[in-house]
Amino acid sequence: MLGQLFPVDDFKLIALILGMPLLGAAVNGIWGQRLGKEAVRLMALTALAVSFLGALVSFFMLVHAVDLTGHEEVVEGVKSVVHEHTKLSWTAWDWMHTSGGDGATSVSIPVKFSIDALSGVMMLVVTGVGFLIHLYSSAYMADDKAYWRFFAYLNLFIFSMLVLILGDNLPLLFVGWEGVGLCSYLLIGFWYDKMPNAAAGKKAFLANRVGDFGLICGMFLLAHYCGALDWTGLSNGAEGLLKTGDLNQIHLWPIGGGEFRDFHVGPLPIPMHIFQPSTAFTITGATAVGLALLLGCTGKSAQLPLYIWLPDAMAGPTPVSALIHAATMVTAGIYLICRLSFIFVLSPFVMTTIACVGAATAIFAATIALVQNDIKKVLAYSTVSQLGYMVLGVGVGAFSAGFFHVLTHAFFKACLFLGAGSVIHAMHARVHDDVASQDMRNMGGLRKYMPLTYWTFFVSTLAIAGCPPLSGFFSKDEILYRAYVNQVVNPMGEPLVARLHMWTPPTALGPILYTVGLITAVLTAFYMFRLTFVTFWGDFRGWTIGRPSLLAQAELTGHGHDDEHGHSEHESDSHDTKSAHAGHDDHGGHGHDDDGELIEVHDDHGHHEDLTTPGYPPHESPWPMTVPLIILGTFAALAGFLNAGILHFAPIDHWLEPVFAGSAEHAVHLRANAERLEWPLAACGVLAFLIGSGIAYWVYVLQAGKPAKAMADGAPGLHDLLQDKWRVDELYEATIYAGTDALADTAVWLDRSVIDTLLATVTSTVVKVSGVVLRLLQTGVVHIYAGAMVVGLAGLAIFFVVPHPELAAKDTGGGNYVVEAAPGMGYSYLWDADGNGTWDAQAMSAVDHQPLHLNAGETKTVRLMVKNAFGFTKTVALPVTRPESTKSLEIGQNP
Amino acid sequence: MIPLEAYITLSAFLFVIGGFGFLIRRNVIVTLLSIEVMLNAVNLAFVAFNRAHAADANAVGAHTGQVFAFFGIAAAAAETAVGLAIVLSMFRLKRSVRTDEADLLKN
Amino acid sequence: MSTVANLYFYLCGFIAVCGAMIAVTAANPVRGAMGLLTMILSVAGLFLALHAQFLAAIQLIVYAGAIVVLFLFVIMLLGPSARAPRDQRGSVSRGFFSGLFVLVALVTMYLSARAAVHADPLPMADNDFGGIDAFAKSLFGEALIPFELSSALLMVAVIGAVAVARGEASKVETPAAKRLREARASFETGAAPSTGEAAE
Repeated sequence: MLGQLFPVDDFKLIALILGMPLLGAAVNGIWGQRLGKEAVRLMALTALAVSFLGALVSFFMLVHAVDLTGHEEVVEGVKSVVHEHTKLSWTAWDWMHTSGGDGATSVSIPVKFSIDALSGVMMLVVTGVGFLIHLYSSAYMADDKAYWRFFAYLNLFIFSMLVLILGDNLPLLFVGWEGVGLCSYLLIGFWYDKMPNAAAGKKAFLANRVGDFGLICGMFLLAHYCGALDWTGLSNGAEGLLKTGDLNQIHLWPIGGGEFRDFHVGPLPIPMHIFQPSTAFTITGATAVGLALLLGCTGKSAQLPLYIWLPDAMAGPTPVSALIHAATMVTAGIYLICRLSFIFVLSPFVMTTIACVGAATAIFAATIALVQNDIKKVLAYSTVSQLGYMVLGVGVGAFSAGFFHVLTHAFFKACLFLGAGSVIHAMHARVHDDVASQDMRNMGGLRKYMPLTYWTFFVSTLAIAGCPPLSGFFSKDEILYRAYVNQVVNPMGEPLVARLHMWTPPTALGPILYTVGLITAVLTAFYMFRLTFVTFWGDFRGWTIGRPSLLAQAELTGHGHDDEHGHSEHESDSHDTKSAHAGHDDHGGHGHDDDGELIEVHDDHGHHEDLTTPGYPPHESPWPMTVPLIILGTFAALAGFLNAGILHFAPIDHWLEPVFAGSAEHAVHLRANAERLEWPLAACGVLAFLIGSGIAYWVYVLQAGKPAKAMADGAPGLHDLLQDKWRVDELYEATIYAGTDALADTAVWLDRSVIDTLLATVTSTVVKVSGVVLRLLQTGVVHIYAGAMVVGLAGLAIFFVVPHPELAAKDTGGGNYVVEAAPGMGYSYLWDADGNGTWDAQAMSAVDHQPLHLNAGETKTVRLMVKNAFGFTKTVALPVTRPESTKSLEIGQNP
Repeated sequence: MIPLEAYITLSAFLFVIGGFGFLIRRNVIVTLLSIEVMLNAVNLAFVAFNRAHAADANAVGAHTGQVFAFFGIAAAAAETAVGLAIVLSMFRLKRSVRTDEADLLKN
Repeated sequence: MSTVANLYFYLCGFIAVCGAMIAVTAANPVRGAMGLLTMILSVAGLFLALHAQFLAAIQLIVYAGAIVVLFLFVIMLLGPSARAPRDQRGSVSRGFFSGLFVLVALVTMYLSARAAVHADPLPMADNDFGGIDAFAKSLFGEALIPFELSSALLMVAVIGAVAVARGEASKVETPAAKRLREARASFETGAAPSTGEAAE
């Protein structure tokens, strides 16, 4: 019945899925302030819930539609069911039609949305995880005065993300791409009255612009090469990217093709030929498009070198970090690579670049995460690192493995971030300071106070660290295995590759990528367990926060987190502070009030209250925050079985097969003995988990952090370098920012000296002088103005009384010309078209043009007499010459 | 029979009289009266030209000249209403109806 | 027949020119308005001769009935001030420009007349021509949109005239506004409303 209501090619249910979040955003954004918190919450959550239900229904209808296309095929003696690539699509309206200069390429871009296997899964994740995080936020942001604004942005984000995912062509994807970028900016700078937040938002926006530039370039190149921008059209026209020839290959050196030739400046010869390479350095369209799109992906998915915005983006509210900067938006780049996999695989160079970028990002970010103390910063770098894994996966041609990591990562990282948010929520209630409440060094022992948060966090940590059989183990193992055994080759066959001089990646690359990935896995396990142990194990170290005297005292005794000291204090605290705890809620201070009030409250604690009364212990979060944690934790634990490649149970792999058919199959050669390597490589992964977590346990639980301190003291340079995030921001500041600043200074100087001084002065003088002259004419006496009108009238009368003959010759080719006379009121004409000096007719006529034929080099003078309505006549002559030309001769034609 | 040119000449005479009055008089009310004279002259020309195409009353565009004259009358009514309102407010401001006193636009 | 028609044209034309002259030259604006009325009536007569019966009626109703009356109202509203004082300020420039205008007009008229010496008589007119039926077909047919737009023009003119003519009038206080202002003032000063108000 549903199938009749929503046919496959006019699937209007998409309008509901897309429309509800947009409606929520509009209602909350326009009327939110007046509606009150309850209504805002109801609107936002309902919108997402309906959208999620719609997504579920569509997904099951998609499953049904896919099942219908199933047919059995026998490949190498093994029977298997193969499905066609099916999509449910809905065209909202026609957006634009573009055509090339000669009408050569015409691209039509409808506003069309479609759900296929890939976008269907992604849509479920976005709406599902999105709903949980909305639920979580409704409690987390409960005390924020801009509650309505937050939910308007969040709903708008979901809408944009859905446009990105469901868009059936690249421009529509780009609309969503920009939309999520905008929402990301708005939400990072949500507390915009704080300077660092606003700066972080700006940074994210700008870094993303660099990536968007790449995406736009890629889009234009694709329109040029493939003549289409929708997924089907692109896949049909993808061969266009490998066309050879001057117009189709991109010449990098000499730039744009051509040749360097020697030339002479006076007697001095300039030897330019030394720049001429023996063979021109060209790349195919596929490589150019791939690199441009990759730039877009590095921006959105926070890869080297554009990852810098993501750690700073943690300035936004924690649910935002969970939803946008961990679970959904940052995976847009991987989604794009998966979506356009058939284009990326055309260039092994691009694939190798993607894999290398992914691997480098993974290990780079993991090293930074080792030493960060801010709980959200650790998770942020962990996100960058995990995104690196995904990019590595898709870069080695394991698209479904990379995409599966997107899925599992969405669950465990969202859970981790929400857990961190829960911790921060609890800490903030105690310390009322944004920085201190996120510092791991102030936490510890929270296991006792917030068991639910702890257990979900712990499960997710196990998952991300790769503990079998949790989800992260399966997805990461699949990527690493694929990185080892996959060899990317060109899918178009040897002859074409030879003709294009196409680059082939070295065979040693696989093991190198695998090793890098494995080391990253060790590092991941280490920093994640460090995070868990420091935050949840041991004893609470936060009692001294906000009490400078006690803090100083503790540091004098040597250990800020001395067991006995902290313990005894905590005991007394927990008994005596019932009243203080109750009083705290009246403050409303654990939300994020406006800045002034926050500082005031903090000062209050620091100078009066906290010195005399002890603090109250951290507390577990309310149910809207813990329920999403539990659900996400469950998924983080179990989602791995959706694609347990090593157990040869891979429904997701099979599900996505039609999407990647034609790209993954042809572009990847498996290394010899790939089947036998499966278990040993998985064992290595488990070993990496054990080593990483074991070291973390030894350092932070058994030795209470002493070895870490010793190492930091032993190599202060390295430790500082890691703490400062390899000083990449500083590097950019010294190069790109400084360069831009210098350019801006030059522009300012030019503006001041040339435009403001020279041009503005001259212009203003001219205007001033003419003003002085013209002011004399403005007497204010009306009849003088009327007189001016009379003068104009007289001029007009003269114009009409005198005839105005004009002739123009038009070349119609082949020596034929048409001589035309300018029209006029009541004009009649007399011609002498053959130039023999006598008029062709006896009387005036209305014929206003005459044909004329000339031989090459001949000249004729055409004369015309014009008579106007007043009976006046005037004569004009026009000599017409046909040029002596040889150019018009066609090749092969006899002269 | 009176030829078309006679009407046109009469119309031109009326127009010149109106324009002359418009230019030479300083009384705003008389200026407006002159404008009415000119508009009437133009209407007369429209109707006269239309008369030359009066052979078929039901042809498309048979009454174009008269329709134009009709709109001319409508425009004249609007013009008079606004013009006289301006005269009133100018009189309130300047206590005068002379055009050379109306120099508020100067500088 | 022909002579009657000729006589009719010359009579109407003569009266029209005379009326226009009076309208333009009269020192007393009331007399000028009467001249305009004369001209309008004779032009209406010419319209009749030109087979424009409907338009002649409109000419009478709108011009003679509305516009001239409006003129007279304003002239009477202004009273003696409507008569501009006679002095010679700016007479040179005015004389020059109007002279130029008349010269140009006369020359142009002469040239036109020279070009059109062969004056053909007008063709016979259809009996229906200029009647309400035929005219309405044109007005509500091909000229429907301009017709509707002209209603907007008149609307704007009415609003504009009201807005311009009101001018200072808004400063005149209505009795209700006065009571309100006094009540506010007494409230602010704390004094009881005046006894007169209370008695009302």
